[in-house]
Amino acid sequence: MLRSCTAALRTLRALRGRREGASPAARDPVLARRWFSTEKVIPKDHALPNPSWSKDLRLLFDQFMKKCEDGSWERLPSYKNSKLVKEQLSQAQLFTRGYEDGLGFEYVIFYNDDEKRTVCLFQGGPYLQGVPGFLHGGAIATMIDAAVGMCAAIPGGIVMTANLNINFKRPIPLCSVVVINSQLDKIEGRKLFLSCTVRSADEKILYSEATGLFIKLDPEKSLI
Amino acid sequence: MIRRGLRAAARLGHHGALPGGPYILPRFSLASAFGSSMDSLVSRFCQEKTDLKNYALPNASWCPDMLNLYHEFLEKTKADGWIRLPSFKSNRNHIQGLKFPLVLTVSSDKSDCHIFTRCIKTEGQGYEYVIFFHPSKKKSVCLFQPGPYLEGPRGFAHGGSLAAMIDETFSKTAYLAGDGLFTLNLNTRFKNLIRMGSLAVLNVGVEKVEDQKLYISCVAQSTDQQTVYAKASGTFLQLQLEEDSSQY
Repeated sequence: MLRSCTAALRTLRALRGRREGASPAARDPVLARRWFSTEKVIPKDHALPNPSWSKDLRLLFDQFMKKCEDGSWERLPSYKNSKLVKEQLSQAQLFTRGYEDGLGFEYVIFYNDDEKRTVCLFQGGPYLQGVPGFLHGGAIATMIDAAVGMCAAIPGGIVMTANLNINFKRPIPLCSVVVINSQLDKIEGRKLFLSCTVRSADEKILYSEATGLFIKLDPEKSLI
Repeated sequence: MIRRGLRAAARLGHHGALPGGPYILPRFSLASAFGSSMDSLVSRFCQEKTDLKNYALPNASWCPDMLNLYHEFLEKTKADGWIRLPSFKSNRNHIQGLKFPLVLTVSSDKSDCHIFTRCIKTEGQGYEYVIFFHPSKKKSVCLFQPGPYLEGPRGFAHGGSLAAMIDETFSKTAYLAGDGLFTLNLNTRFKNLIRMGSLAVLNVGVEKVEDQKLYISCVAQSTDQQTVYAKASGTFLQLQLEEDSSQY
């Protein structure tokens, strides 16, 4: 699974650069125009609360936004339309952003550079059903791939999923909020080894555990 | 009672070949044999007489490779024991006369729920797929064509969408072959990217059934079998569904 993350890296650098001074506003029109030089339209950032977000999700979001204030954590913005983007964004976000609010994947990813880990707050909607009342294993796999992939892409650059091994412990109820904690375990040459857990919002229930192997790609070489 | 049913299911899992000749679906009968035989599960699953929309039928977005293989397998349903599985909006529609155990009912079960792989309604945009199942061999073949909504790297399908398609094919196969209900483990090794709009053929087979677990594997490759897209293995928990007496 290829991750082109040049825009994600730019996000990180831009956000860090503003640590010293200006407002931490996620939607900075000036910044947006610098990225998307072709258009004056400001693309919608989907990694922000909308009416479909449950109370649990908003609470967790606020908690993590607080953690962003001292710069140790960064919220990663998430755009849907690839036509507005000059460079390729982490493409996983296009797939996972193709639904109306609340029906599919509602999520936001926060990144901690020092600890090399990400936290993804995820609320899966009624269009992601498997066994009635629960999230489809494939939808969970998709979200884990996206969250762990982002954790790999930020330090690793352009990466591709080589292996994803998921253990499902308990089924996740539809429309509930889960927290996906991913971390980079080690790097061996071009191989990045990561692991993650999926827990309930209050951390009391462990829903799944996963390990992933991502490979750094050579940007000079073509995809196929 | 459940344990006896599970043992029965496990025994059926090792059942030998079905009687020869064309495979005819048994008539749906409420008074099905004790425990869910594969025949009973399949007939409830397929629901021959129904108004429900079947998404696993050819449409204008299907590429020539997909249409060709579809017709090849359709021929095999006449004499070689293959069954074409229908695909409805929700898994609830596939368990006519049965219900999920009480412990699994959750309050958030809304009526507008869609199974994940059938939520993108516009033809050709999301998951275009059809699964053919062979009861006695406990194998399945899924013809999968990813659409633009499933894009990962520009022009190619997102790895997560392939993992989801593999999980879905696993899930239907595990259920029909041995009451597999929940994915316990999914291990996917990605080899090559699938070009959007092209066909991936998923060959799935049940490896073994042991200790209330069903072990299943998959190889996803191109039509000409020259390119392997991924290899995967999965484990499913066997959990027999209960008869839904409330309907009658």
